[in-house]
Amino acid sequence: MAEVVFSNVQKKFGTFTAVHGLDLNINEGEFVSLLGPSGCGKTTTLRMLAGLEFPSSGDIRIGSRVVNDLAPGERDIAMVFQSYALYPHMTVGDNMAYPLKKRGVKKAEREAAVAKTAELLQLTPLLSRKPRQLSGGQQQRVALGRALVRDPQVFLLDEPLSNLDAKLRGYMRVELVELHRRLGRTMVYVTHDQLEAMTMSDRIAVMEGGKLQQFAPPAEVYAEPANRFVASFIGTPGMTLMDGDLTRQDGCWTFSAPGLSLPVGPLKDIAQPGPACFGVRPEHVRIGEGPVSGLVQVVEKTGHENIVIIGLEGGQRLTGRVPAPQSWTIGESVRLSFDTDFAHIFAAGTHGERLNLTQAPRSANHLNLTTVKTETQS
Amino acid sequence: MSTQKTLLERRYATLGMALIAPTVLIFCAVIVYPLFSAIYLSFYSVFTPTLEGEWVGLSNYSELLQTGRFWNALGNTLIWTIGSLFLQIILGIGIALVLHQNIWFRSLARSLILFPYFISTVVAVLVWKWLFNDLYGILNHLLMKVGIIEFPMDFLGTMPNAMISVILVGAWKYFPFVVIAVLARLQSIPESLYEAAKIDGAGPVARFFDVTLPQLRDVLVVIIMLRAIWDFKEFDMIYLLTGGGPLDDTQTLPLLVYQEAFALNDMGMASAYAVVMMLIMLVFMLVYIRRTKDDGGV
Repeated sequence: MAEVVFSNVQKKFGTFTAVHGLDLNINEGEFVSLLGPSGCGKTTTLRMLAGLEFPSSGDIRIGSRVVNDLAPGERDIAMVFQSYALYPHMTVGDNMAYPLKKRGVKKAEREAAVAKTAELLQLTPLLSRKPRQLSGGQQQRVALGRALVRDPQVFLLDEPLSNLDAKLRGYMRVELVELHRRLGRTMVYVTHDQLEAMTMSDRIAVMEGGKLQQFAPPAEVYAEPANRFVASFIGTPGMTLMDGDLTRQDGCWTFSAPGLSLPVGPLKDIAQPGPACFGVRPEHVRIGEGPVSGLVQVVEKTGHENIVIIGLEGGQRLTGRVPAPQSWTIGESVRLSFDTDFAHIFAAGTHGERLNLTQAPRSANHLNLTTVKTETQS
Repeated sequence: MSTQKTLLERRYATLGMALIAPTVLIFCAVIVYPLFSAIYLSFYSVFTPTLEGEWVGLSNYSELLQTGRFWNALGNTLIWTIGSLFLQIILGIGIALVLHQNIWFRSLARSLILFPYFISTVVAVLVWKWLFNDLYGILNHLLMKVGIIEFPMDFLGTMPNAMISVILVGAWKYFPFVVIAVLARLQSIPESLYEAAKIDGAGPVARFFDVTLPQLRDVLVVIIMLRAIWDFKEFDMIYLLTGGGPLDDTQTLPLLVYQEAFALNDMGMASAYAVVMMLIMLVFMLVYIRRTKDDGGV
């Protein structure tokens, strides 16, 4: 078990910079997800930690050792690959024993370690099979077993669930969290799936364009996105983001967009009157009453809730969500308001910083929405 | 409904027959007929120029098994096949591994490496005969210059030099086939296997033996089988290089068949040799078929 520290790590491929001056401090025993869209530098970051790519500058430290000049096999890490990378000609048992064999562990000890790990992952009946005779989920467990068998300081997981079907993915998410809790080892998990990152991680490092956008616990990333990119990337359905103008009168800030004018809470000192962005999550849109009017354009029924997309007078679209029994019909005229405690103001630009001074309360109040709807109907 | 389907099936079957018929006919004309002709002729004592002779039953076979020429030629064939194949495989894998790396001029090198395989055998043998020549050959010149030999060597006229030379030229001529086949397989081995092995603590040598070689196994079996069959029946290169000499020390079975048929004018005996050769190659073919069938089944 060890902490992992990236100090001003940069990675260039020719003239292209894949990772810009990354500073990341992962604590001992922490489960950290590197989350971001394709090409954001998350896999490159993981591969640099694994020793499969060399940083162009900066230091990577595992525990007390700077590992820049250590070969992958010398870093005391284990990695689970997206494609599992099981040796096709070896049996499950041989695959799992391989890292021990290469480290000169005696046969009897190897067999004992493999048996123990196989027991943990329910792989015992499969030990003599070849990888091609296994299902995707089983192969995934073998890849995990090969990583676990050696008890390394840090586990690296590169989108290990992305090749599984949705049901199995859900199951394996729980398994991995349980495994992390039991082993208490440092785990670095790369994913583009925010659900995986949100549900499994102690902290999430959101990356984009090779830069770290935010490094915080999942609830904080969701409730207090550091900038407009994080706000738009996290959350399904996504946060409604509306471009408009910020004005200040008598010390009070107002956000206005076509067909919309809202008072906003106290903002940071860096806030300037002018172009800005207003963001609100679907669960903080109150449909039924309020100063804003709109037209229902789309209703998506997911079973337990309905996603309602509303067109505002100014041509902006916003997304709201309501519990399943409630619904609106397409074309229906509705009034709405926003729970301004949970609304966000971002500076202009695709990566505009969040300007709210106060912390947003971290609770989604679906119940309020239910109340509003019920009142309207009665 | 079912009648309609049967009709459609019948139409497809007819079309299928019509499409494969030309191939089957050509196959019969150029493979099946000569094969049965050879077997038929092997039971006769046939004078080649007239193709006339009398029925001798199995006496051609009993004679060939009793004469030393057959066993000598079989021995030479096996030495040539095994020696040349061994070098082709070692050289082929080695060069393929080099060409798989990110080296400069990789594309050019990949094209140039095919040169010996595509060059005409006659041209290749002529070039090598010049290189081997004991009066003006560059090989002797260089060996003498660096002091390895004092006098020019007779590469093709003495033993074991002649067999070694034949094997070397054969390996040079045919190793590009191994390079291309192995390179194709190497390119399809997932990089993640090597990365996993690196993380598991395997060094370059361990990665070769634990990842590369097992992945090459299937393609190597096919290459060895195919090249073994082709080398076993190699005629033109050896005939042009040594003509089977010195004496009959590099005379392989195909050369013996040719000699019997066209030098000694005994087409019956030649056919008997050819049939025995075919039976030996049948063993290779059965292994090959079985091997490729196994692969397809997995």
